[in-house]
This record gives sequence, C-alpha cells and structure tokens, in this order.
Amino acid sequence: MDNTSSSGILQRGAFIYYVGSVIFAAGIALLAVGTAFVMIFRIHHGSEPEKIILCLIFTGVGTTLILTGINLMMRQTQYGYYIIGASAFISVLALLIFTSNYPHNWHYPLISYILALYVIGFLMLLGNAFANVILWMIEGKTEAVVGREGEIKLYTDEEIERDIEEATRKSIELSASELKFKEPSAGEVRFGKAFRESRGDTTRVKDDMGEERSLRKTLKPGEKVKSGVAEVDKISVLLGEAMKKRAIEKGRFGKIKEEIEESFKKLIYLVRLKR
Amino acid sequence: MAKGLDIGTMNIICSEREEEDVVFTQQRNAFMELESSDLTKTMLDSAKVLYIEKDARIYVLGEDAFKFATIFGKGTRRPMRYGIISPKEKDAIPMIKLIVERVLGEPAHRNEVLCISSPADTIDLDMNALYHKKMMESLARRMAYETHVIDEGLGVIYSELSDYNFTGLGISMGAGLTNVTLAYLATPVMSFSIGRGGDWIDEQVSITTGLPKDHVCATKEKGFKLGLEVEYGSADGALSIYYDALMTYIIKNLNRKLAEITPPKVEFPVALAGGSARPDGFLKMFERKLREAKLQIDISSIKLAKEPLYSVARGCLIAARTHEGEEKGEGETEESAG
Repeated sequence: MDNTSSSGILQRGAFIYYVGSVIFAAGIALLAVGTAFVMIFRIHHGSEPEKIILCLIFTGVGTTLILTGINLMMRQTQYGYYIIGASAFISVLALLIFTSNYPHNWHYPLISYILALYVIGFLMLLGNAFANVILWMIEGKTEAVVGREGEIKLYTDEEIERDIEEATRKSIELSASELKFKEPSAGEVRFGKAFRESRGDTTRVKDDMGEERSLRKTLKPGEKVKSGVAEVDKISVLLGEAMKKRAIEKGRFGKIKEEIEESFKKLIYLVRLKR
Repeated sequence: MAKGLDIGTMNIICSEREEEDVVFTQQRNAFMELESSDLTKTMLDSAKVLYIEKDARIYVLGEDAFKFATIFGKGTRRPMRYGIISPKEKDAIPMIKLIVERVLGEPAHRNEVLCISSPADTIDLDMNALYHKKMMESLARRMAYETHVIDEGLGVIYSELSDYNFTGLGISMGAGLTNVTLAYLATPVMSFSIGRGGDWIDEQVSITTGLPKDHVCATKEKGFKLGLEVEYGSADGALSIYYDALMTYIIKNLNRKLAEITPPKVEFPVALAGGSARPDGFLKMFERKLREAKLQIDISSIKLAKEPLYSVARGCLIAARTHEGEEKGEGETEESAG
C-alpha cells in the first residue's frame, strides 16, 4: 500500500486494487446467483424458509461484496479501510443473525434490529465510496488546474531570440517616439555661390499619377462617393416637379371622379322620383 | 502640393508634381573635403560647384564631389552607409542636413505633406534603421513639412504595382541596401532589407580588379550591360559575377524570410527598382534566377520599373499625395458637417 498522502488521501496499492476487483466480481456473481435463485424458486411469502435464506444470503452477501469491492478499488482516506472492514462486518453479521433466527425467532423488534444493522453496513459502504469519489474529483480538478498553470511550453532558441528582438524593437520604438532632436550647431558656415542657385539636377517626366486614386481606393475600399450639393439640388428639383405633376394629375382625376359620382347620384334620385 | 523624398545611400531624390509632370530633383549623397584658399573658392564659384566653407575647409557636395574625386584621385566621403546615417562619418549629420535641405527646398506652405522613404531593418547586419528614420523625420519637420515615412520596398509597390491593386513584391536595389517588401492590397505583409547593394558590388569588383571604387561605380552606371561575354581585364566581367552573386543572395534571403510568414494564397507580381537595377540585362538575369529558385510564393510576372532610380521617390510622392487627399477630404467633410 502506498502511503503518499499529500492531501490526506492514501494511494491504494496494486494488490488491494486487484483484491477489490476480485471481491467486486464475486459480489456480482453472488448477486446474480441469488437473483437467479429468487426466480428459479419463485420466492414468495409462503416459500420454504431454506430457499428464502439461501436467496437472501446470496443477494445480501453479493450486495455487500459489490460495495466492498468498489470501495477497495478506490483511493481511500486514512480511515477508509477500517470503515470498509467495519461496514462489511456489520452487514455480514446482520445476515448471520438473520440466518440463525429465521424463521423461528423472526419477529419484531428483532427484525428491525437485523434490518437496521444491515442497512447501517450497506449505507456506510455506500457513503464511504461516495465520499472518496468526491475527494478524488476535487483532487483531480486541483491537479488539472496545476497542470494547466504549470504547463511548460518549450521554445526554440530562434523563437526566444525573435521574442527578445521584438521586445527590444518595441522598447526602442517607444523611446524613439519621445525623442526630440536639437538643431546641430553647424558653426560658422559660408555657402558657395552656386549653393542658392539650384536645388540639384532635375528630371521632368510626363506623369498623370493615376496611382494616387487607385491607392486611395485600395486603402479605403468602403469610402463613400461624394456627390456635390448641386447634384443633390438638381435631384431635389426633379423630385419636386414629379410630385407636383402627380398632385395635379391626382387633382384632375379627383374632379372627374367627383363629377361621375354626382351624375350617378342624380340618376338614382331621378329613378326614385319616377317610381 | 505634396512631395516625396527618397533618402538613399547614393542619391537623395525629391519628387513633386508640376502641372502634368513629375519633377525629380536629385543630388548625390556624397561630399569631398578640400583645403580652403581664395583661388580654390574662385575656381569653384566660377565652375558653379556646390560647396560650403567651414572651419577653414571646403566641402564640395553632391555630384560635384564625385567629379572632383576623380580629378584629385581621392575617394568621396559618404554621409550614409548601409541605408542609414554612417556612424563612422563624423560630418555625416550636418552634410546630409545640407543636402536634404537643398534638394527638398522650402515647403510651398506650412505643413506641406512630405513622404520619406526609409530602409527596413536588415536581416544580415546588426543595425536598426529606427534612429535614422526618426532623425530624417525630425529634419523634415523642422523645415515645416508634415512628414510621413514608408518603407523603400513599399514605395516601389506604390509606384509600380497599381495595376495589381498594390499587391506584390517590391524590391529596391539601392547602393547600401536592398529593400524588400511584400504587400497585399497596399498593406505590407513583410519588410526587410539586406546589407548588400550596389556598394557591395563596387567593393568586390574593386578588390578583384584593383580599380578604384568610384571608377567601378561610374562604369556600372554608364552603359554597363550584364552578360557573360566580356573583355579581358575590364570591370564588366567582375561586375556580372558580383551582380549574379548579389541576386542569389537576395533570393536566398527572400525565400528564408518567406518561410517565416504565411502569405495570402495569391499570385504576386514582382517589381524591381533602385539605382543598382539599371544595367541592361538585369531584369532578364533576375527573372531567370527567381524562376529557378522556386519561391515559397507564386510569382505571376516580373517587371522592372520604368525609371528604376526614381521609382521609390515616385512611390513616396504617391503616398504623400494620398495623405494630402485624405486630409483634404477630412477637412471638407468637417466643413460640410459644420
């Protein structure tokens, strides 16, 4: 058994783990046999006591062994193994008392004591397993966090060099942005006659510099196209004229409509008068 | 108005729009020291040579420094090395300041938008371009420009790959460095530089042939053709060999860097630019080597910039004008909202 317990938890040894596995498997087998007996013997309240005892012994011991096996396969706290031992013992004791007293002395309050004893053992095993699972989860999470934080990434020399260069470059750029140069003292300088005459050799090239517009478009592809105020005014005037025309036409049609309606009304009135 | 400025190891080039044209103003990023005397000054003034006098010394600046270097058999001094201000040159900062101020000129108005090119961090040299970038930014701000900075490789993409929605690989082969940017829809996916460029070729050829570096550089810039048929003892053979070696080195490093990223699954066009990409036969040789290399990305086409030397400056101008347009747009929106 390993005794490394950084957080009070004992590492279970390989031996105990295998013992636990065997006990767990045995428990499953016993439970399966017990269940099979229940079905084969068709157990009911009137069944023969021997058959009932046999079935209960198999299922009861099987259940206890399953829980014991699970507990043994887990990492245990310092007192974990004592708890497992005591719980298993209590459960088996309850079953023994049951076998020795059933059916002749099978009456209350003995039934309650036996049942309580078994349930206590059962719950202790279950509770211990549950507590260990929780502890294991907490511990596992802590390890995961530590693992993530303490993860060591390996950098190549080239990457380190590039990072250092980048940091240095940024630092220099920052310093340079605040740099102010003083006018260098040129001393007494006398310029030659030609100095002020021309700026240098010149070359004149016919060039419409169309690239300038292309560059602006490329750099700002979503730029809005501006249209002049005159254009907006022109459009506004056209829209105004169109709306005016529509209103006039609407007015004309409205008049015709009114005249037709008036004629219809007169016609209806005349018909009524005739009647 | 907006300007673009390519601050290269060999040339400082300003680009700006004038009516229907783009004007590139260029000056060599070099100087040469001479003894000061009245005779020298008179001679320089009459020849309209660009110079300054400081502490009883004369400093000839720009292109003229190269010419005088050839005449006097001396080497020029360079304010920049490997794409950034040279830590070995004590006069680098005042000299580069003078050249930049001269090439850039006064802004048309306060806070005129200016976009400067900057090298990306190198992958084969222990150097950081940030300090250089900040210093150049500060220099332009002091001149009352509103300054933005882009990678050289991105400048090439802006200038050359508009037909591909600014998606592709921009390679700028300068004098000090070779800058590479992989962009997807105008957004850089990867940017890096390699500590080899035209200067490296000049050095190697100079060591091999015994010719002065400036002479090799002049040969390279004047009608040199990359090829395998060369004259005995000429610099051309050595130049071809070292161009080949540089291309192999760039492509190897490009493939190595591509392995570190996960680029979008599209075909990328390649645009080549920079002063060192000008020799005849460069595109053909680079294309062959690139196709042979089996890159980690699919290449659709390879093109050489129409004006390789001005490509980055042009890209900077496009970026500056885009910024300017955005600002105007924002201003208009605010006005209309108000």
